[in-house]
Amino acid sequence: MFYPQEMSQVQLIIPARDLMAVTRKLADQGVFHQIDGSQLAVEPVKIPRPHKPWPEVAAVYATLERRILGIIQTLAIEQDLSRPPQGTGIVELDQVQPLVEQIDQQVKQVREQVGEEQKQLDELQSLYHQLEPLADRDLDLATLRAPGYIYSILGTIPNVHLDRLRTSLERIPFVFETLHQDEETAIVWLSALKRDREILDRAARSAYLNPLALPEAYSGTSSEVVHELGNKMEEIRQQMAEQGEILVGIREERGQQLQTLLGQVRSSRILTEAMGRFGRFRYTYLISGWVPTNRVAEFEKQLKGVSKNILVESLSIQRAHLHESVPVILRNARLFRPFQTLVTTYGQPRYEEMDPTFLMAVSFPLLFGAMFGDIGHGLLLALLGALLGSGRVRALRSMANFGWIITYCGVFSIVFGFLYGNIFGFENLLKPLFIRPMNSILESMILAIGVGIVLLSVGYLIFIINALMSREWGRVLFDHHGVAGLFLYWSLVGLAVEVATQHFPIPLIVLGIIALVSGLLLAFSEALNRLVEGHRPLVEGDLPSYAAASFFELFEVLIGLLSNSISYVRVAAFAIAHAGLSAVVFILATLISPSHGFGYWIVVVLGNLFIIGFEGMIVGIQSMRLEFYELFSKFFKGGGMHYEPLTLQPKVQE
Amino acid sequence: MFKTGVWGYAGIHARVRAKYSYLITSQEWAELIGAADFTALIGLLRRSVYGPYLMQLDEGVLTPRRAVYQIEKQMADTFTIIVRSTPRSARPLLTKFFLNFEVHNLKAALRGIQARASWDQVQTVLFPLGPISTLPAQAMVESGSVSSAVELLRGTPYYNTLSYAMERYTAEQSLFPLEVALDLNYWSEIWNDLNRLPRQDREPALRTVGSLLDVNNLMWAIRYKIYYHLSEEELINYTLPFGYRLRDADIRAVAAGNDIAGVILRIYPNLPDISALLLDPRKGLPELEIQLLRHVMEQCRKAFIGYPFHIGIPLAYLVLKKMEIQALTALIEAKSSRSPVEEFEAYLPLESTRK
Repeated sequence: MFYPQEMSQVQLIIPARDLMAVTRKLADQGVFHQIDGSQLAVEPVKIPRPHKPWPEVAAVYATLERRILGIIQTLAIEQDLSRPPQGTGIVELDQVQPLVEQIDQQVKQVREQVGEEQKQLDELQSLYHQLEPLADRDLDLATLRAPGYIYSILGTIPNVHLDRLRTSLERIPFVFETLHQDEETAIVWLSALKRDREILDRAARSAYLNPLALPEAYSGTSSEVVHELGNKMEEIRQQMAEQGEILVGIREERGQQLQTLLGQVRSSRILTEAMGRFGRFRYTYLISGWVPTNRVAEFEKQLKGVSKNILVESLSIQRAHLHESVPVILRNARLFRPFQTLVTTYGQPRYEEMDPTFLMAVSFPLLFGAMFGDIGHGLLLALLGALLGSGRVRALRSMANFGWIITYCGVFSIVFGFLYGNIFGFENLLKPLFIRPMNSILESMILAIGVGIVLLSVGYLIFIINALMSREWGRVLFDHHGVAGLFLYWSLVGLAVEVATQHFPIPLIVLGIIALVSGLLLAFSEALNRLVEGHRPLVEGDLPSYAAASFFELFEVLIGLLSNSISYVRVAAFAIAHAGLSAVVFILATLISPSHGFGYWIVVVLGNLFIIGFEGMIVGIQSMRLEFYELFSKFFKGGGMHYEPLTLQPKVQE
Repeated sequence: MFKTGVWGYAGIHARVRAKYSYLITSQEWAELIGAADFTALIGLLRRSVYGPYLMQLDEGVLTPRRAVYQIEKQMADTFTIIVRSTPRSARPLLTKFFLNFEVHNLKAALRGIQARASWDQVQTVLFPLGPISTLPAQAMVESGSVSSAVELLRGTPYYNTLSYAMERYTAEQSLFPLEVALDLNYWSEIWNDLNRLPRQDREPALRTVGSLLDVNNLMWAIRYKIYYHLSEEELINYTLPFGYRLRDADIRAVAAGNDIAGVILRIYPNLPDISALLLDPRKGLPELEIQLLRHVMEQCRKAFIGYPFHIGIPLAYLVLKKMEIQALTALIEAKSSRSPVEEFEAYLPLESTRK
């Protein structure tokens, strides 16, 4: 539970004739995380014609898969990949390619026709929008196109240029009519004698008048043309609907077949890609990867069932030392698993690193509950979370994990609600089992800092354990978060308690000496670390610079210790703010309805909903901040490798 | 009730007066112009109000362009301070005036796209507007085409203006119609904002920003006529029919090819004879523009005399500051290219006799 699943490195040597069967078995078991071993071959292997290297074959399957997906998308078929294909899992290209080609042609023809019709429709729509404002005018388009003795322009112009255009034409005889005008633009008709054509053109162009394209194919008045365009557009829409019917027919006829083809081609692609990562020798293949140690025996047995001459070598990997390349499987009880998502949001734990999910699962709801202690609000949150977590709301299924986190937070809010005696903001209905934060502000803050000190100490201890596991002795002893850092922190806390209360069991002088020694160790931690690790020189660069840097580093550590601890005051602050916000709701409700009538209860209900939504969100963010920034930064490195076993089953999104 | 007048402008007036005293004086200009080279110029500027901004960068990386950028940053910060303490009713005009730099940035981005420049190249010439800017400049430059860049402006105040002009851009593949549309739209909006001001603010605002609008509009008309030989109708459509002292009749007179010198003298009777300048337009027009800008600067200085509690004070300061930046940019470029003083001095927008 505290560490990732133990992993074993596995190497397989298989005869070339068992290649297909072994690969399929590896994929069916779904436990083998493959490593690229294609570079392990000691001698280049000449591939006999007409065979291609596996990566090239995989590329062909990938192209085919994309093509099928394209067809499936056009036909709006829902993908179903729950049934893996039978046999070796690799389908012959000659068998599927012609079939895909045939269906693609069938779909392509309809798709192209729909595309062509859409283009026509867009053009007509553009014309329609240009001429629609003139629908109530009986302008003869033929006359406008060939006006006889006069020259005219019909077009749209920004309103701001209208007056200027008129002014610019004052030196010639002209007719200027605004046919239609909206907020931004106007449709105008300009005409002048043919001899003034150039002037008219220049004026129109420089006033940003965009001439309307009068459609050659349409004749009659503007209202007739608009009507005709409308009919034509409707006709095309009907044709497009008919094409849509054809696509529905193809979907019904070929839907099942396409699902099967997609399954076959996808599994062929996955298996050939996997084979492309095998090391290839003349008569054998070398396969490398990782398997959870507790599955190795079964894994080996299954493989021997399909290949008698297979050689299996496995080596269980201990956690000591750093392991960046070992894939990580987190093992957590079902109860804690929702918090795994939050942990991996920060980073994937490394193989040798402690998985902080358990700590997160305990401390996150605890901090949330302490800040948001209210039986009623907690109950609503718990119910809302359970609804999300149960997956009953189809659209929110992807948020199931998040739902359970809300439920845990809600449960802790209920617990703290009893401790604070708070239900839906009413503070007089229940007697608090512990304290009322609003009435005991100082105590609440001291308690919050106390909780912070405990949590931060846990963070230090986990860091020390992690460093011990990876046998980094220098870091264990002298790191800011190691033994020296922890002693400095505790001694400073002790000093603060002694100064404030005069009742600390360890004398002031002892605490002072511990703080001084651990401070000095931290200041020179880099040199001491190098000493323990056997690296030389102990100090890089000149000594005065090193001393100055060490001093400032120690200063930064001290500031960090102070700010990290004080940061937990927010737990008390939000608990007080919760009570304060509730009080504001009641004051507002009383202002609305002093006699506690209907209006009073409306405001109370709305106010409570606001507190749950708004304050709940802020408290959630604050809890996350305390976890990630104050706690995780003490010990958690992350950067582990995700475990991605070879499988033909599609990944289920958590 | 305290939005304008003494109550509204007392604070900003004091603040702007303080900043006004930090504008570069004529004696300082003389020293700057006389600097031996770019390094010496930067050395002098480090002692000015721009010093802290220039000192943010090591000398080794302070190229002429970076220096201009740092100087512009000072102006951007000054603007933020000023607009924050200006009465609410005056803020739209002040902000709109400052957004003139955004229009410049937009044009620079479009030119960058047209010239296939990279974002790294374009961003060095943009004014550092900060969060006030709504321009997705990087995305525009990286979009690779003017039409895609204009599409990215959807939702900004520039989209409609540019989308109407895009048909012409597509046909002509020239940025000219887009840039003219942006300028016309920008100054029309400034004019509308000016006219929406409370009465006591309108006159001083017109005297400063309106005077600047007059110069721009008149110079557009003269350039279109003399340099580009545009037709009467085009010239009218590419200019604005309003101004502080400039009338539409003046623009139409220029468009119709009437005596330009006569038009200028009607508006600016105190200018010396400018007929000689119009004889050699390539050399004369920049000089004419400088003379007109000097007139604007005089108007801005006058804003600081008399009753001080109006929008004219911050506006006049911003106009003067903008011209100072313009002059410094020209000076930095001249010094970095080692141009002789007599070649550039006449083209710096500086007052003839500075107080």
